[in-house]
Amino acid sequence: MQPFITFEGKVILVTGASVGIGQQTAILLSQLGAKIILLATNEDKLLNTLSLLEGNDHNYFCYNLADIDNIENKIKEIVKQCGKIDGFVNCVGIRSRRPISLLSPKEIKNVMDVNFGSFIELIRCITKKGHFNEGLSIVGVSSIASHVGGVSVTAYAASKAAVEAAVRCLSKELASKNIRLNTVVPAQINTPEYANLLQMNGGVDTVLNRQYLGLGEATDVANAIAFLLSPAAKFITGISMPVDGGYLSS
Amino acid sequence: MMNPMDLTNKKILVIGASSETGETIVGQLLNLGATVVMIDSGNEKLLSISNHLNHAQLKYYCFNIYNNQDIEKEIKQVSISFGAFDGLVFCAGKGGVRPLQLTKNNFVHDMMNANLYTFIEIVRCLTKKGSFNNGGSIVAISSVSSIKGLKSKISYSASKAALDAAVRGMAAELCDKKIRVNSILKGWVTSDMKLDFIQDNMELNKNEDFAKQILGVIEPIEIANTACFLLSDATKTITGISMLHDGGYSI
Repeated sequence: MQPFITFEGKVILVTGASVGIGQQTAILLSQLGAKIILLATNEDKLLNTLSLLEGNDHNYFCYNLADIDNIENKIKEIVKQCGKIDGFVNCVGIRSRRPISLLSPKEIKNVMDVNFGSFIELIRCITKKGHFNEGLSIVGVSSIASHVGGVSVTAYAASKAAVEAAVRCLSKELASKNIRLNTVVPAQINTPEYANLLQMNGGVDTVLNRQYLGLGEATDVANAIAFLLSPAAKFITGISMPVDGGYLSS
Repeated sequence: MMNPMDLTNKKILVIGASSETGETIVGQLLNLGATVVMIDSGNEKLLSISNHLNHAQLKYYCFNIYNNQDIEKEIKQVSISFGAFDGLVFCAGKGGVRPLQLTKNNFVHDMMNANLYTFIEIVRCLTKKGSFNNGGSIVAISSVSSIKGLKSKISYSASKAALDAAVRGMAAELCDKKIRVNSILKGWVTSDMKLDFIQDNMELNKNEDFAKQILGVIEPIEIANTACFLLSDATKTITGISMLHDGGYSI
């Protein structure tokens, strides 16, 4: 039987692949045959993810995406070393929690640069001639925070909303090059980040009252990413796909 | 006759009052009985609006609203000079279209600074103790671009979507002080047509875009009415929304 999704021979860049959703996505895509390029800041964590991938033909690059001005050179280096890119998954992000009274312009800029600015610059550089193969598909990881107001997450929510809006525009602009872009919108997912959040809230998570399928797993999001990335979703572009256990509809 | 949108005894701050929509909002606020303080970066234009409207309840104050380093100091001065406010309208910001390959980070940053960072910093400073009354209302002018994708409007759309998300976060956070925060997703307004970046891209936009606004182009007074509605006590249980005012564009 023909597999529903295969990435055999495809080169896929995954940013923020050290932990959680990014790591699980890299693992799943490698199991589906892709040649993975891992990109994140911490080498030890990258090496850990690399050790979890299926197959051997993978690469990793240590890079801090807050350094937006040098992304162009980094992408050139990656393409030169690993070949043209077929897929890009952006899982990098910082989850800032600050009440409005402490939300300085510097903090907002930092969150926007890492969660949004670097994403746009990565896409700009990847979609240059000679850097990608026909049928390039891009998936960004957003958040339900983009859709629902939460206390002390103003900057984070704004950055994720910006990502989704940009994807809507870019899907239109890049359609002529046969490039598709989408986002996934996870709710509460069982990641180390979530464990920290739960600890901060004394073990109580009221979001789960509305998330009626319970706590999600990183695999649930990785599955959605793999689908959107694959040719099985070749008629889907510009969407924000909830992976939220029912949260946004309840 | 009772007027549910009566703004008598309310003091409203209008940031970005120099634009045609801003000036129209100021005029309508005065018509509804509010005391208004206009703020923008150019003194000459504010003086001209002040002379034109010639109203005892209209004041103005000038500073560079896009310089984040000075906002805290300037808003403090505004509070000292005019007292605590009951409402804020943020109609400042900038537009601009650029295809992806020209959308470099400095362009993205300028757009975010004008449409998002300035707004958040003004709200942060204005909602400090003594500057904004409990029960007050904040209205930000956003755009239907926040929810609809258009070619070459990556940064603008993203900045407006970010603004709307920030509005939801602020609404959740400031409800303890009974401060409401909402935005208006405006469609094409007659004053937009005069902007350079629209003129430059008329061919790009006209077929695809203007035709979608099935009720035609919006007049600034209509946006002003929606802003006044959201500022008034008629909407005292409405917060965290992005209200479409788009002539049917998004249908």
